[in-house]
Amino acid sequence: MRTSKTREILRYVMDYAISISIFILIWSLYVNISGVPQFVLPKPTVVFKEFIGLFTTGMIWPHLGMTVFEVVIGFGIGVIGGIALGYLVAKIEVVKTALMPFIIFIQTAPKIALVPLFVVWFGIGLPSKIVLIVSMVIFPIMSGIILGIDSIPADARNLMRILKANKLQVFMHLEIKYSLPMLFSGLKIGIVQAVIGAIVAEWMSGKIGLGYILTYGNATYDTPLLMAGIIVTIILGIVSYESIELIGRKLLKWHVSQNIE
Amino acid sequence: MNDFCLQTKGLNKVYHSVLKGDTVALKDINLDINKREFISIIGPSGCGKSTLLRILGCLDKPTSGEIIYQDGKEQEMGFVFQDSVLLPWKNVRENAGFPLVIKKDKTKESWDKLDDLLELSGLSDFKNSLPKELSGGMKQRVSIVRALSYDAPMLLMDEPFGALDAITRDHLNLELLKIWEMTKKTIIFVTHSIEEAVFLSDRVIVMSARPGQIKEIVEIDLERVRKESVRDTDKFQEYTKYLRGIIG
Repeated sequence: MRTSKTREILRYVMDYAISISIFILIWSLYVNISGVPQFVLPKPTVVFKEFIGLFTTGMIWPHLGMTVFEVVIGFGIGVIGGIALGYLVAKIEVVKTALMPFIIFIQTAPKIALVPLFVVWFGIGLPSKIVLIVSMVIFPIMSGIILGIDSIPADARNLMRILKANKLQVFMHLEIKYSLPMLFSGLKIGIVQAVIGAIVAEWMSGKIGLGYILTYGNATYDTPLLMAGIIVTIILGIVSYESIELIGRKLLKWHVSQNIE
Repeated sequence: MNDFCLQTKGLNKVYHSVLKGDTVALKDINLDINKREFISIIGPSGCGKSTLLRILGCLDKPTSGEIIYQDGKEQEMGFVFQDSVLLPWKNVRENAGFPLVIKKDKTKESWDKLDDLLELSGLSDFKNSLPKELSGGMKQRVSIVRALSYDAPMLLMDEPFGALDAITRDHLNLELLKIWEMTKKTIIFVTHSIEEAVFLSDRVIVMSARPGQIKEIVEIDLERVRKESVRDTDKFQEYTKYLRGIIG
């Protein structure tokens, strides 16, 4: 059992490695043959050196740290707000009727277009960035909770009534657990949105963060730096997404979507 | 013997609808159910038998009329739903013992009794299995044990075996009778199977549709303890034929 599992993981890694190697090979060949200037498309080796340099010189850390900080704070507030709001909308009809038009409006409005407005309202510092991230995270979380609570079978609620369970028991034993799978699909969308939100917010204002590195690389025609910065943001996105995925898998072992070992 | 368990007096249930006018789901239901009795309610679909059961279980309110429980309004009841509604994150034992958790009953006695019930229902080897690993029949067994776990004197069952295949169904019928004879509970059992109703019951309540009302109450005078072989007797056949006749 053990060996076959390790072998399977190894095969996945191999598949990825081969696929990425071929991509880099084609990229490298193209640059060498066509002779495009470096500020349009640098060689993979140059980008790789730049990428390593970002870490060895340590210049990336304050920027990466800032972006991570913004993501954590914004995502945290968005999740708590989304859960609270989602629960109220799912449980109280009046709240639903009152809030739904605004929620749909905010959701359909392209948040990125709201950034200048956020800057006017909240300044160019941290608050406007957090507001943008929260606005991008809150909706997927909220709809996850609403879907989750709506997906509770009517008879499961009837069972609680037959057992004369109180409201707190219904919440603790039924509603939280039943909404977890939906909540986690919301969290997975939310964390990706949070990283995007942080980068975009940093484009707009400030002198720190991964988004700033991208605009700096762009403005100075330092394409290797720009591409290395993009790779860092992609890695940040993947790592944060996979962390949520991992926690979800641990908590949702019971769910039908998880295979039994 | 004539200890009553519950009585209903002139129960009516009307669904009001602006578009389609009023629908009378139940009309003038008068019932006397004795303690330790096994009652089946049978009738064509849409006759309101599930609605009646839900009203008896206080999951729904009648439009008019009253229900008198011998032990008062707060009477403990077990309810087995059509679908097992097990909580998917709890294993078999946790699901079956869920009412004890809600009722904050931590006594060893209750949990030991739960284990006995699991044993009796052939679930001992599956105590740690999750619902997704169980067959439909097994899930329904767990949900019956769950309804029995807190020892409510009354058990309401809403077509509990309706979704199961005939073989599993016959098997579970026998098991249910075994449990009923051991625990001596009052059982009110909604079904659409005539054979099931005859095999299980002391009395069968036949309902007719639109409006849902009691057409006839048929006493089933077959020997107790009933075995599988009772199904082959002439008397059993006569009852099923008679019931089929009145249900139409």
